[in-house]
Amino acid sequence: MTVSNWKVDYIGFVLPALIFTAWYLVTLEGGVPAYLIPSPSNLVRVAVDFATGHANLTPYAGTLLVHTLASVQRVAMGFGLAVAVGLPLGFLTGRISLAKSSLDSTVHLIRIIPGIGWLPIAMVWFGVGENTTLFLISLAAFFPIYVNAAQGASSVPPLLIRAGRMLGANKLTIFTTVIIPASLPSTLAGLRLGLGISWAYLVLGELTGVTYGLGAVMMDARMLGHAEMILVSMIFIGLFGRISDMILVGSFKRLDLLREENKE
Amino acid sequence: MKVMQRTNLSAEGINKSFSRPGEHDSLKVLEDIRFEIREGEFVSILGPSGCGKSTFLNILAGFEPADSGHAACCGERIREPSPERAVVFQSPVLFPWLSVKDNILYGLKLRKNGRNEAEEIASEYIRAVGLDGFWDYYPSQLSGGMQQRAALARALVLRPKVLLMDEPFAALDAQTRYSMQQLLLGLWENYRHTVVFITHDVEEALLMSDRICIMSKRPGRIIEEITVPFERPRQLSLTGTQEFSMLKGHIFGRLMD
Ligand SMILES: Nc1ncnc2c1ncn2[C@@H]1O[C@H](COP(=O)(O)OP(=O)(O)OP(=O)(O)O)[C@@H](O)[C@H]1O
Ligand SMILES: [Mg+2]
Repeated sequence: MTVSNWKVDYIGFVLPALIFTAWYLVTLEGGVPAYLIPSPSNLVRVAVDFATGHANLTPYAGTLLVHTLASVQRVAMGFGLAVAVGLPLGFLTGRISLAKSSLDSTVHLIRIIPGIGWLPIAMVWFGVGENTTLFLISLAAFFPIYVNAAQGASSVPPLLIRAGRMLGANKLTIFTTVIIPASLPSTLAGLRLGLGISWAYLVLGELTGVTYGLGAVMMDARMLGHAEMILVSMIFIGLFGRISDMILVGSFKRLDLLREENKE
Repeated sequence: MKVMQRTNLSAEGINKSFSRPGEHDSLKVLEDIRFEIREGEFVSILGPSGCGKSTFLNILAGFEPADSGHAACCGERIREPSPERAVVFQSPVLFPWLSVKDNILYGLKLRKNGRNEAEEIASEYIRAVGLDGFWDYYPSQLSGGMQQRAALARALVLRPKVLLMDEPFAALDAQTRYSMQQLLLGLWENYRHTVVFITHDVEEALLMSDRICIMSKRPGRIIEEITVPFERPRQLSLTGTQEFSMLKGHIFGRLMD
């Protein structure tokens, strides 16, 4: 098992290496000009400077931390709100037919509207910046969380519920000791989708105009003609998105909630 | 020797129909079932496939209501599932996200037994079903027979008055089934819970039970009750005796009716 994992890892490096090489080649002397595509080495220097501020290469030198904190905070709040509303509603819809019939079709109707389509009205309601960003993140992350929690809760094998009942669980304890753990894999899938979408809508919201945040840096850098900073911000957003996903999955593993997934 | 004790589980005039998908009339599955079982008795229910055995057991368990009639346990009407009437299903139905130990602790925790006390009781039953050393295994890491042992321990640990078993060993190979039968009998001798045991296997019923109820084809009725005359403990060699084969032949005949 370990051996094949390693093989997969090597193969996983091939494509990035090719992209990297191609990138390097097009930025060589006489290739694409640096204001469109900066060279890899320049990008790395700017990225390090963005984090440490040691060389003052751009107006953003040394500001990574404040922008990251602002963005992470927005994601955490928006995603947190989506979880707080989406999970309970999803579980209810999955298990209680009254909740399903009164809620589900409306939710799916709203879901059809692309999240981006909410941007103009959100700006009318919440103004540009902070609250619009939170609104967009929560709204967009809500749907996958809700849908997957409902799906997981509704497909719990009825025999498991009977087993819990005959062992003395009442309707409420069935919910906490059977329904929730049995639907965890599906729930986690929804949470991961929701978290990924949160980062996407973070950028969309921040582009509307906030002072701090990685999306703000991107927008600002575009106006000041720092293509390399746009790319650096994109890379950091990707990196933090990935890290947050690993933290989410890791915390589920840590809580030993994913036994089924580890089936031999 | 045997002391005839109080009635433990009873059913009177049980009827049950299911609506048929795509048809207007309903399918009558159980018809006027009368049934009684005394404390500590081991009763098997035999009947052709589809005659309503599982349906009847589900009614006794409290999983499904009867259309009419009356089912009671220790004088109390059966309305919903209860750990007094523990169930062992044909498949183990363990909670896959819990270890063997936590599966067995599940019911005890709901009862709010103290942690230490609960673990002590659980370990007694884990040993009783021969799973010591497998505490921390997850169901997916156990063989089918071991899973069924864990399911048995999970049910017995709550000291149920009645153990309801729906073809619990049908999915096991012959040797495993035999060892599970021995295990169940040993536990029963020890704890003396009442057992309702559904099976397809006539020999199994004759080797295990005090009494056998034979059900008719659908709609299921109990058409005959046989008190099994053999002394316990019963050896496998019993199956070669004439009395055994005659009884077996008689039961087969009734099942074919
Ligand atoms: N929930 C249900 N809805 C509709 N019909 C049902 C339902 N449960 C059982 N039935 C029908 O009732 C009849 C009896 O089913 P049951 O499972 O009780 O049979 P059984 O005697 O246990 O059979 P087997 O020995 O094969 O397990 C079958 O014809 C089945 O189709
Ligand atoms: Mg059945």
